[in-house]
Amino acid sequence: MINFGPIFFGFIIGLLVGLSMKNNPKTEISLTSGSFVVITIVAIVCAWQLGPFPYYTDFPIATGFLFGAIGLIFGKLLVSKA
Amino acid sequence: MGPILKIFAFPAAIILICLGILTILGGHITPGGGFQGGAMIASAAILCIIVYGIEKSPIQLSHNFISIIESLGALGYVLIGIAGLFFAGFFLYNTGADFYNLLPQVIVNIFHYPDVTNAGIVPYLNIFVGLKVFVGLSAVVIAFSQFKSKEME
Repeated sequence: MINFGPIFFGFIIGLLVGLSMKNNPKTEISLTSGSFVVITIVAIVCAWQLGPFPYYTDFPIATGFLFGAIGLIFGKLLVSKA
Repeated sequence: MGPILKIFAFPAAIILICLGILTILGGHITPGGGFQGGAMIASAAILCIIVYGIEKSPIQLSHNFISIIESLGALGYVLIGIAGLFFAGFFLYNTGADFYNLLPQVIVNIFHYPDVTNAGIVPYLNIFVGLKVFVGLSAVVIAFSQFKSKEME
């Protein structure tokens, strides 16, 4: 049985937090799209190392962590395009 | 702050936020929960504010955003509590688990958190508390960081 709770709500919380990451013209850090690909890969590795947290057995990775990262990047893309 | 710290801080903040989300979502069966996870997400925003400064921070929490999320957290918590009062007669009754068999199955299915544990409304309460704590702690640090000392004025 797939646990949809952490998948869905991880994405929603990530999206809400990602909406606060607007493109700030004053900022001294400028991450390219390649940087976000690297961050996504790091997030997948972290989720794999965390394992099926907490005590789930449907996937070998922490789905809440991974979908939180996906939601964050999606939220940032949304406010960057707007 | 130094350039190494500036390169490192924002990607580290993203990983910190994800860990906070995981702590919120595992709060019903593992140590942690809404407050701890919300504080972890706020720590990511605070890290960016300390390293980049309030004006140059890549995580910008506007007044509107803070007030919307703060209201959403408080309102969601109260509404879930009132749902228990309305359907079962007890404020914050676990309508998603229904341990006392007071509710029809349709209502239980609506409030049931979709995972293998029978946690009911507890994960939803964790999520609302987490959102509220995230913006609340961040707002405190944002307010403090905007104070100017008398020497600067």
